Amino acid sequence: MKTETLLWVMLLIPIAASLACAALPRPRAVLGVLCAGVFTATATGAVVIHDVLGTGPVSSATGWLYVDALSAFNLAVMFLIFCLSSAYSWVYFGGPANDVPLTPRQARVFGGLWCGALAAMTLVLVSGNLGIMWVGIEATTLLTAFLICVQRSRAALEATWKYILICSVGVAFAFMGTLLAAASAHQLQLSSHDTLLWTVLRDNAAGLDPVLMKAAFIFLLVGYGTKAGLAPMHTWLPDAYSQAPSPVSALFSGFIVNTALYCIMRYLPITEAATGGTGWCLSLLRLFGLVSIVVGAAFIAFQHDLKRFLAYCSVEHLGIIALGLGLGGLGTFAALFHTLNHSLCKTLSFFAAGRLGQVFGTHDMDKMRGAYRVAPAWGTAVFASILALIGVAPFALFMSEFLIVKAALERGAIAALVIFLAGACVAFVGSLGHALPLAWGNPDGETVREPVRATFLEACLVFLPLATLLCLGLWLPAPLETILCEAADVINGAAAPTLAHFSAGVAP
Amino acid sequence: MTSAPLVHLFLGLLLAPLLLGVINRTKAFFAGRRGPPVLQLYWDLAKLLRKGAVYSQTTTWVFQAGPVVGLAAVLAALALIPFGGAAAPLHFNGDLLLLAYVLGLMRFFTVVAALDTGSSFEGMGASREVQFAALAEPALLLALAAAARKAGSLSLSGILPAAVPLSPELALAAGALVIVFLCENSRVPFDDPNTHLELTMIHEVMVLDHSGPDLALILYSAALKLWVLGALIVGMLVPTVAGVPWVANTVIGLAGMLLLAVVVGVVESVTARVRLVRVPHLLAAAGALAALAFVLVLR
Amino acid sequence: MENLVEAILVGLLISDMTVLASSRVAGCIRVTAMQGLLLGVLTLLLQAEAMSLRVVLMAGIGMLLKGGVFPYLLARAGKEAGVQREVEPFVGYIGSVLLAVAMLVVAVWLGTRLPLQVHAGQTLVVPAAFMTMFTGLFLIVARRKALTQVVGFLVFENGIYAFGVATVGEVPALVELGVLLDAFVAVFVMGIAIYHINREFDHIDTDQLSSLKG
Repeated sequence: MKTETLLWVMLLIPIAASLACAALPRPRAVLGVLCAGVFTATATGAVVIHDVLGTGPVSSATGWLYVDALSAFNLAVMFLIFCLSSAYSWVYFGGPANDVPLTPRQARVFGGLWCGALAAMTLVLVSGNLGIMWVGIEATTLLTAFLICVQRSRAALEATWKYILICSVGVAFAFMGTLLAAASAHQLQLSSHDTLLWTVLRDNAAGLDPVLMKAAFIFLLVGYGTKAGLAPMHTWLPDAYSQAPSPVSALFSGFIVNTALYCIMRYLPITEAATGGTGWCLSLLRLFGLVSIVVGAAFIAFQHDLKRFLAYCSVEHLGIIALGLGLGGLGTFAALFHTLNHSLCKTLSFFAAGRLGQVFGTHDMDKMRGAYRVAPAWGTAVFASILALIGVAPFALFMSEFLIVKAALERGAIAALVIFLAGACVAFVGSLGHALPLAWGNPDGETVREPVRATFLEACLVFLPLATLLCLGLWLPAPLETILCEAADVINGAAAPTLAHFSAGVAP
Repeated sequence: MTSAPLVHLFLGLLLAPLLLGVINRTKAFFAGRRGPPVLQLYWDLAKLLRKGAVYSQTTTWVFQAGPVVGLAAVLAALALIPFGGAAAPLHFNGDLLLLAYVLGLMRFFTVVAALDTGSSFEGMGASREVQFAALAEPALLLALAAAARKAGSLSLSGILPAAVPLSPELALAAGALVIVFLCENSRVPFDDPNTHLELTMIHEVMVLDHSGPDLALILYSAALKLWVLGALIVGMLVPTVAGVPWVANTVIGLAGMLLLAVVVGVVESVTARVRLVRVPHLLAAAGALAALAFVLVLR
Repeated sequence: MENLVEAILVGLLISDMTVLASSRVAGCIRVTAMQGLLLGVLTLLLQAEAMSLRVVLMAGIGMLLKGGVFPYLLARAGKEAGVQREVEPFVGYIGSVLLAVAMLVVAVWLGTRLPLQVHAGQTLVVPAAFMTMFTGLFLIVARRKALTQVVGFLVFENGIYAFGVATVGEVPALVELGVLLDAFVAVFVMGIAIYHINREFDHIDTDQLSSLKG
């Protein structure tokens, strides 16, 4: 099949799966169809990504669908996270330790929205039109809102409301930014069809009105930044993460925030070229990144709820990614690499948090001591993933953060570097203070729990991501490096350093 | 220079009490009554002027000065107001500020005279009057400022001949002026001129202790104030016709004043007085309209 | 013609002030409906020179959704939740109106700062759009009821819509449809959320949704 056709197939499979899920009577069947749909879409996506890497950007429908290395990389991360999370939702909702199983109605809602969210995110990543990209982001917000309160409770409803309202308003800001970007092209006399095409804007970026494009970028950064959970627009994030069912939390922190960051990445080269390559938008991004790092690190130490703690970790890491993007050059490469590592690691930690939560019946870290003895597999997962998150050496997150440090040194951004390292140290201490008792502490006196044995699927879900993170920390495979470099080139635009530069920088 | 300004001044002095008669007749019509004669206020004034005044022993000269200064102030205001497209008897750059200030002077003396009685009831009315005036005055000044900016003149005589067609900004300013007009003249929905014993009234409660000629002066001043502010609104909204004798424009202006009186009567018949705590909301709305107009003309 | 555009924009500004000064939720919803209709007419007027079936269709769909469907959905949600008035908002009504004047000044200033391509004689469009956006945002932060916040969201969207109509004009129809569809789903989803919140908490005061913090 031609790649152009596959693009459409990749979009349509999740929609079909979503409709099928909404029609099925039994929860088990819904989860089955959900997994099948996600895996089929992944297979299609793999072919598309392969073709894009082989032959360069693919576009269809006169440029409305457009996949280049940047979208291919994000597609790869998305499918990876979706596959893991879907398999995990099978464990989480279908497992024996689940006290409150899904009702058929809840299962239908969950399956329908889950696959719908996949379709919406795919739309964001494959659309070449910035307007359609916005439509996809807003659709993601709306489709995922009720995933938070699939199993309804007061707190979950509260989190849902905050999520819908804050993110809808934020994304509306982004729409304003999109309109401003379109308005900034008034001198180009574009036809209605070309107005918002990314390729057209990129090729003519020098002819855009710089003042309007700056205004547009501010709106876009605030708007999409809200969805991406950049501080100080992150307030919905801890609530949503902590109240959503764990597969959903994993999805949120693993990829939904990344789609919003992806949108910002798309605008970076255009804004940079329109403002004459002065690095104005990069410095703005650095600022938001640093604020996020500081806020995330500061809040980490005071958390009691395991999932809230992980949520603030997300804020910190999104800040790191934004900082990397803001440094440009090698930093862009490192930020993209960090995106992959963080998604993988955070997904794993939410898997563990959810499963341990089911075992202990709470997410309060003071009552979850000694997880390692109670559930060896998941205890390992939570401890190892927290270690990885705080940047302990052999894991891949250490590598990507190290690269960001290097990029900061190369650029001479010493102040940013100092703030980043200070934030990372605070986060390190705070997280370790949570992680040690969580894994090794003595369980609460009276209740003696039998160790919970993990099934084969659960073991796979723990060890595959961990092994990947370890491998990536020690050795970066050539295809991954290529796709990262090409994606970074897309973001850095015409002024991009060559691939060889990255290779030299990456070799540990 | 024709005799038009003086005729207009004379017309205002003569016809002001008639407006109140028209308002009352309109209200009576809506209520299904015959109502008092249109000239009732003239008879009232004549009756009051023939009576003697009673002064409380606690009052001072301030109490007696109140009505006199009030009338003097409103007469000055009347001299500043152009009518029927002709210039006012007195006009110079910045006279719109003087208009606001002479009206303020009139209010000040009414309030001080009320406080001079030492009655808590009148003190309450005075406090309300001042509170609402503090909100109405910015609206009046902003609306006038908007109109002045639009017309490019700082004199009321340069502003008032209405522009054709009416621009949105001036319509907004006129809207604000209508609200101020209703408030300043103690009409529904701000105050009910028919009640004398309610705890909610504002203007009427301040003049309860005045009697005889003093009360006549106060009633006449109130009628003149209605005429002054009414002429302001009519001047902004009713266009003048060019190329005809000034008498024709005067007739058009008079028709506008009568129409305004009828409209006020209709408003009083179909709306209820708002609760006292809501009065500032209405005045804030007037202020917002005026500010909107001002920002629009500044743009 | 130009005067008509001006009049509509002034109408938009007055509707912003009304919605800020009004405590009745149903009244606020009616004002947003009116705004939707005004925006539809504005679209037709601004693109009168290049009138095409597409323009008429888009304006029609916009008016139908913003002037009819959204208010209907909101009014139904309000009826189910039994909400009539916004009692004790965070910022009082007089304060809101005074702030509205300040917002207007900022909006006019912003309109002069941005080098947008606007037809001569329509310089009020951009300030009016910004003012409407500010109004929406202000409603979201200054009111307690979830329903009023949704009204604020709609007003905010109306402002962005006005801005788009005035400055961009030619957005592909597919994008425009997608945006309208998203707005529709957003109102729908928020309505459902309000329904559930009301059932679970017996009120829709968002300041009492405060169990999650830190």
